[in-house]
Amino acid sequence: MEYKNANIRFLESGLLSPFKKWAAKWSLWPCHFITSCCGVELAHAFACGYDGERLGTLNMGISRQSNYIIIEGTITRKMARALQFVWGQMPDPKFVNVIGACGERGGIFWNSYNITHPSDIVPIDFFIPGCPVTPEALLRGVRATQDKIIGKDRKTIEFKKVELPFEKRLKERMVPTSPKLFAPTPAIKVDVKSEVDWGKELENKLKKELDGLYKSITITGKNSIAIRTAQENLMEVARKLRDQMKMDHVKSVNVIEVPHERKFIVEYVVSSYSVEELMPVLVTVFTEMGVKDAKIQSLTSLWESANYSEREMHEFFGVLFDGNEGMGKKFILAPDTPDLPLRKEFKLPDERYVFEKSVTPEFMVPIEPPKDLYIPISEEFVEDAYASDEIVVPIGPHHAGSGHLRVTFRIKGDIIVDAIPEPGFVHRSMEKLAETKLYVQNIPLFERLAINDPVNMNLGYVRTIEKALGIEVPERAQYLRTIMAELSRIEAFYYDAAIFSLFFGHTTGFMYSMAIREMIIEALMRMTGSRSGPSFLVPGGIRRDIPDDVLGLTDNITFAIHKRMKKFEDIFVNNPVTIARAKGVGVLTKEDAIRCGMVGPFLRASGVNYDIRKIAPYEVYDKLDWEVTTGDDGDCLGRFLGRLEEIKQSVRIVKQAVDAVKGIKGAVLSEDVLGEYKEASSDIKGNFFRVFGNLVLPKGEWTTITEAGRGTLLFSIISDGESNVPYRVRVMTPCWMNLRGFMEALKGARYADFWAVYGSFGYFPPEADR
Amino acid sequence: MIDINALISTIMNNQVNIPLLQPLLDPLLGMPVIGYIIALILWKPFFVLILIPGFATMGIMLLILPWIERKMVGRMQWRVGPREISPHTRGIIQLLADSLRFLFQEVIIHKDAHKLYFLQFPFLYFIPVLLPLLFINAGTAGNPLVPIQTDYALQIMVALISLMPVFILGVGWASNNRFSFIGTVREAFLYFAYEIPFIVVILAMIVLYGTSNTVGVIDKQSGVWWGIIQNPLAALTFFIATVMATARLPFEIPEADQEVSFGPFVEYSGIAFGLAYVMGYEKMYVLSAIMTMLFLGGGSGPVIPGLGDLSYGIWFVIKTLIVLVVMANLRGVYPRYRLDQGLRIGWGAMLILALIALGWSIVVMGVRL
Repeated sequence: MEYKNANIRFLESGLLSPFKKWAAKWSLWPCHFITSCCGVELAHAFACGYDGERLGTLNMGISRQSNYIIIEGTITRKMARALQFVWGQMPDPKFVNVIGACGERGGIFWNSYNITHPSDIVPIDFFIPGCPVTPEALLRGVRATQDKIIGKDRKTIEFKKVELPFEKRLKERMVPTSPKLFAPTPAIKVDVKSEVDWGKELENKLKKELDGLYKSITITGKNSIAIRTAQENLMEVARKLRDQMKMDHVKSVNVIEVPHERKFIVEYVVSSYSVEELMPVLVTVFTEMGVKDAKIQSLTSLWESANYSEREMHEFFGVLFDGNEGMGKKFILAPDTPDLPLRKEFKLPDERYVFEKSVTPEFMVPIEPPKDLYIPISEEFVEDAYASDEIVVPIGPHHAGSGHLRVTFRIKGDIIVDAIPEPGFVHRSMEKLAETKLYVQNIPLFERLAINDPVNMNLGYVRTIEKALGIEVPERAQYLRTIMAELSRIEAFYYDAAIFSLFFGHTTGFMYSMAIREMIIEALMRMTGSRSGPSFLVPGGIRRDIPDDVLGLTDNITFAIHKRMKKFEDIFVNNPVTIARAKGVGVLTKEDAIRCGMVGPFLRASGVNYDIRKIAPYEVYDKLDWEVTTGDDGDCLGRFLGRLEEIKQSVRIVKQAVDAVKGIKGAVLSEDVLGEYKEASSDIKGNFFRVFGNLVLPKGEWTTITEAGRGTLLFSIISDGESNVPYRVRVMTPCWMNLRGFMEALKGARYADFWAVYGSFGYFPPEADR
Repeated sequence: MIDINALISTIMNNQVNIPLLQPLLDPLLGMPVIGYIIALILWKPFFVLILIPGFATMGIMLLILPWIERKMVGRMQWRVGPREISPHTRGIIQLLADSLRFLFQEVIIHKDAHKLYFLQFPFLYFIPVLLPLLFINAGTAGNPLVPIQTDYALQIMVALISLMPVFILGVGWASNNRFSFIGTVREAFLYFAYEIPFIVVILAMIVLYGTSNTVGVIDKQSGVWWGIIQNPLAALTFFIATVMATARLPFEIPEADQEVSFGPFVEYSGIAFGLAYVMGYEKMYVLSAIMTMLFLGGGSGPVIPGLGDLSYGIWFVIKTLIVLVVMANLRGVYPRYRLDQGLRIGWGAMLILALIALGWSIVVMGVRL
């Protein structure tokens, strides 16, 4: 690239060169490009723990005024446009650092269909490895750029060759994982009958209500029922379910393609918020249809909450949901993404572990730099807005106050008339990638859904496998998992609180929250060894036992954060300006919240008492003493305070669990999974792939719901019973489910309220886009 | 024809008296050319305009004020702020690096901009911001330190300050960008919200002091009877109006970087943005100086022995700095109001406060008479 090092050449030219270099060195203002996980660590690097401002780098976020891009991780095809555009807007001289493994060669997402390599799009000065990088490494990258500017040549680093004693032994070893076994013609069945003593009553009731409309009703496990119906009866069944059974929201819309049988299975997972007994019950309504004219009546008219998921499935599989207004339009994917990527005929390259010399990975999709800035807004839309005295303001994906989400507003005066979301800027195609990895390899993958809430993400996935295999987790492991999950919840909240306060221009609130987060991260790091990507939970328990002194430290940290939480409340939460900004803004009534299928604390803030930890307790939540927080207001302040109250309950849970777990000794890994490797019951090290490499789930669909930091996390794994990779994994993350309600809450608010609403929902684009 | 001798005698009769420096200055004054230059510099009006509290002080303030702000806010936020650039002086030259960097950076004029106005307005903006310095009295009762004495000084200042937003509107209009458009409209709305209370408060002070000559204003604040004690409500309203006028938190509404990405200045890069960035601080300095003059007794304070007239100037700068630091600290404490809330405060609470302050002044005047 001829542009390479042009900036350095500019700085070295002229008589004033020393001044130019000195000024550029100490005034690198980054235009942060928070794409995914590493953005969390960037926030830490510039918050009070590490304080990147020491180096003179002031986070700016506005392209014209900054001279430095820090690309944080994955650049998807959609985001590549924004990257190119922003880089083009920046004045010379400018520098680019890429942090994170996925910015280099793709990292864990290397074979994804939707990512690009930033080095193909803009010239890069430094790559900083890590997944996610630590703040130390990030700041070292800044220092390296400074050194490069003043002329210390770091372009070539010569490696010294070292004779490693174990090199020979490594060569003899086989590839570190088991080979993947794909069944050639997998038999897919989503309604495998289960012998549980549950649900006879409900089954009979359903049979009575849906008489003549269903083909079969099967109990597939505790709290889950599958209804098979014909394509033409689906609408009628759905209407009956909604009106008679009070099933008021859709938790997931899923499509499974079975190519050798030339059919699609379309399923809706529905549940109820209004009837207490039905709250934990997941009713799966599914129908089968041929691949050729895959067309189905959209259920959006019945369930608003199905809207975005239907559009997503339409994009991934090409199934036409007749009646949904988004058909035929791009929603998540970019215009140059391969069409219908989740179909089985679209193959991703498989993983290879040993690269011979000068062999590059075979997956080299020619990724050309994008030529246009793709904005899916038609000219008529803009004309129409202008005709009715409104202006159209698109915000994002790279805006100083938005995550990677584009929202197009129609504003009349100062009031938002309509908000059109455009997610997908961080769509890393997790669902497809999961089909190319072993069950156990997917644990770190799904952790990257929300790196600021890692343990809950792991827990959701691991629990699904445990449910399928019928594994009973040892009690000590259950307690430890609860502790970690609650710490993770606190972590997620304080990230959102930081963003919320930053959106109000309150940097002090940001710093205080990040300080609290830093302490929680410290506790998790002592436990698991990783700052924010622990991957510590495995099917059947946790990787290794946690010593008592580390648990003692966790206990101390819950005391230590208490004081800081008080300070945070004093300066931000009780601030009159915060209250003025957040009170009565972005109200979601109870009916609206249920209609839009809100989840988690945001649903509870609207007055629905729904917490999976209470209604279908997992781990040890039923043994501990804590309360569900609900509110009635449903405004921004209510949502925020509700979560704050919930965090106090989390601290309570952690304290109790730490006290309890000290008295419980024993294994942390279930004997059910260990098999003959009994010695690994307190530490899996050395036996990991022997134990988990050939994990095969029984045939059927396995669905669990977990209460993650921001709400219900639904994992649905479809297994054929033969392969040791999942046939299909459906992930419904809380942020994705909340997107509909988020847009609903915006209507009628003022333009500046967008940031209040955004912050109060804790919308985290990587989690929503998957 | 100008009478050179009369001019020289005017200059020589109105010299700044600094006893400590006098032994140093006397031989210099005797020299042929240098003597005249020194005499000109020491000519009171010129000295005030150029050195204290004029351009030189302002320049230094502009260089260290953002640093003070970043450091203090950093300390409030449990961190250190800029430091590594000069570790022994705690990074005090940070803004020098930033401004040099802006100076050497490309200035981009995008194709939708109105090129002429786009480049003109940031420079024109300097004029109304700098001119009020001509009327600021940094002296004390009986010892005025003011460049230009006129009976309409306060009115001229108000007029010049009212002119400032016009240039911001021009900047936003020339940028031709959605965010700068929204930011400009916000600025225009907010302008009316703070401008009327601001003018009413100045009126209250004119009524109270019975003069709008800055010399008279300082004379009326002798002893401990500073303006803030004579009319505290006016001081409060003036302070809030200053915060609004300079778009500081919690009224950082037109330039909210999370919402409208620096509003009117979103398209500016390089030195043009550097100017706009510095301009905010400059505005802050000028308005704080006016506040010091109107409410904090100008340069009054215990006389530092040996400094003579300079001592008043130093007290004046110290008081201004205190006002500035209080304003800078707001950044660490408050979030940002919404536009309609800002307007409600301006048209509601502030206007009422200003009118009460005016009434108070009239009552005080009545009692005095």
